[in-house]
Amino acid sequence: MNMESIEIIAPRYGIAWYPRAVEYFFLVALAYTSLWLALPGAVFGVNRWKPIARLALVGAVTTAIAAPVSLLADLHQPLRFWHFYAHFTPWSWMSIGSLILPVFVVLTIGLAWLVWREPMQDWRGERGIVGWVARVATLGHWDSPRWLIVLTGLGAFAASLGMALYTGYEIAVLKGRPLWHTDFLPVMFVATGLIGSVGMLLVLDRFSGMRAAELATAPQTPVVSPSRAVSRQLLGVLLVACILAGITAALWFAVGLTQADPSVAAALDSVKGNPDWRAMTFRAVATGGVLFLGVLALLMRPGIRGLGWVFGLLALHTAWMFRWAVLMNVQTVQRQTAGFSEYQLGMGSMGLLGIIGAFALWLTVLMLIEIFVPWRAALDGPSTVPVSKPSDGVPSHG
Amino acid sequence: MDLARRLFMAQAARITAGAAFVPLASVAQAGINDQPPRRDGDAAKRYAMLIDLRQCIGCQACTVSCHIENEAPLGKFRTIVSQYEVENEETGDLAQFMLPRLCNHCDNPPCVPVCPVQATFQREDGIVVVDADRCVGCAYCVQACPYDARFINDRTQVADKCTFCAHRLEAGLLPACVESCVGGARIIGDIMDPDSQISRMIEEHRDELKVLQPDKNTVPHVFYLGMDERFIDRPQAAPGLWDVRDSAGAELGYEYGEH
Repeated sequence: MNMESIEIIAPRYGIAWYPRAVEYFFLVALAYTSLWLALPGAVFGVNRWKPIARLALVGAVTTAIAAPVSLLADLHQPLRFWHFYAHFTPWSWMSIGSLILPVFVVLTIGLAWLVWREPMQDWRGERGIVGWVARVATLGHWDSPRWLIVLTGLGAFAASLGMALYTGYEIAVLKGRPLWHTDFLPVMFVATGLIGSVGMLLVLDRFSGMRAAELATAPQTPVVSPSRAVSRQLLGVLLVACILAGITAALWFAVGLTQADPSVAAALDSVKGNPDWRAMTFRAVATGGVLFLGVLALLMRPGIRGLGWVFGLLALHTAWMFRWAVLMNVQTVQRQTAGFSEYQLGMGSMGLLGIIGAFALWLTVLMLIEIFVPWRAALDGPSTVPVSKPSDGVPSHG
Repeated sequence: MDLARRLFMAQAARITAGAAFVPLASVAQAGINDQPPRRDGDAAKRYAMLIDLRQCIGCQACTVSCHIENEAPLGKFRTIVSQYEVENEETGDLAQFMLPRLCNHCDNPPCVPVCPVQATFQREDGIVVVDADRCVGCAYCVQACPYDARFINDRTQVADKCTFCAHRLEAGLLPACVESCVGGARIIGDIMDPDSQISRMIEEHRDELKVLQPDKNTVPHVFYLGMDERFIDRPQAAPGLWDVRDSAGAELGYEYGEH
């Protein structure tokens, strides 16, 4: 019998995880993937990767400090966070994560401290609060032992693998939401995280003046070539990350179609039944395509790499929107009733204000590091960067 | 059993050596997302509910009485009766379908192992409860439940759900929804007791009973009699009242959320 049903009475459930969750998954993915980009230069001393390591350490530390704040804010009882440690629960991914996260944050900051305290030694004689911070934070006149940097770096790397694993499986383990319940999700989190962190580094590279400074001191050739190792390497990693994300998405879809993976079936169902989901899917595919082609163009045409930061922003957008779709939009799919609940981003601290606040916190941490840490001089970087004098106002890094 | 005796027995159970070793052993054995051991409650019982849909008229008396008994916030429900208008496309005949919904108190509850602080747990008698003093409100359990049976209570800011009215059962009373059901559609009882009404009805209707989303392997313990299999999973239905919009397409309101 064919039947037509109308749901007359059903509860409409709101979402239980707010944009705070997206902030956390976004920032923490930037943190652990930035750490990976910092490792070759900062820990293993590969000279070619040291310029990227300088940027990546700043990226990793700032996001690693900002991320847990968003996580805490997504708890409905934030002051009870200590319950995580009073009642450790080894069979819960979230509980396991509550142990890995502080280890990761502490080791990442520890690695940066070991690397940064060397150039900070030169600032010990500075007047005012900058000199005072340099004198206190460096904890004396001694060189950071090489073995300690390697050990801390390896520890942070191990913790970062734990972060990638736990943040992925915390979501993928949930059978209750078929769209989440797939092993492809943790891989996709890593791939889009890498896309986002390279995007962040491209933007940092541009707006920290690193790019302008390097180009200004580069030997002038008859034809000014803006081809730099940093841009080339970052764009190369971004291309690899895009390909990884593309392959993962394609495999998820192909495997799902052939073996009837419930997550693919649920996705098709949602796309079929809801115009918003169709629009979202179209936007995602289009953004991914533009990003991939753009990166490819920048790699082949060094002359237009000044636009790298624009694609950096697009990469950050991709990493953010993937998490938004996965964590927010999936929550609007009803599970025992028909249709979708509508979610409208609020203006308050659980909505837009919270998102702005999270990025403001990140920016604050970045500015504090900018003020107190000569991070550009770390890892054999140039000790003086020709940025404009304070009297010149805001530097232009065109 | 009076309160003092019950408390004494609970304490006595806690201090026996065997009980003390259970958590340690389970830590060594439990893999990630495995069910932790049950605790508290009477191990000799297994509470379950049978809902005789043939008797349900969709009056929502259960919804209201549960709401009052358990002080759920407006717009959130521990139990509710979903109602559908079903039209036979060939004949045009109309029928109503009622689906009372509540926590299924599953034997393999997906909400329990995810809890990072063991605030939500399954009692020995099968009832899944939340320790509101321990819950951190992470809402992981809300995401894990495939039945949308859990929510974050806006007032307490912790996870909330149907407890089969455990507090009433312990006082020798029926759950509020069972007590108020005008058609006697909800039957609660101990399925370990072969003489209980629910055991006898399960025995009598064994082949006709259905549970919600059996493919999720949650082993629900709310059984439906007279259930149409097209409503076992998320129904293919038009969400009627959700589209209350003005001519410009803006949502006008929603009868539950905007009191």
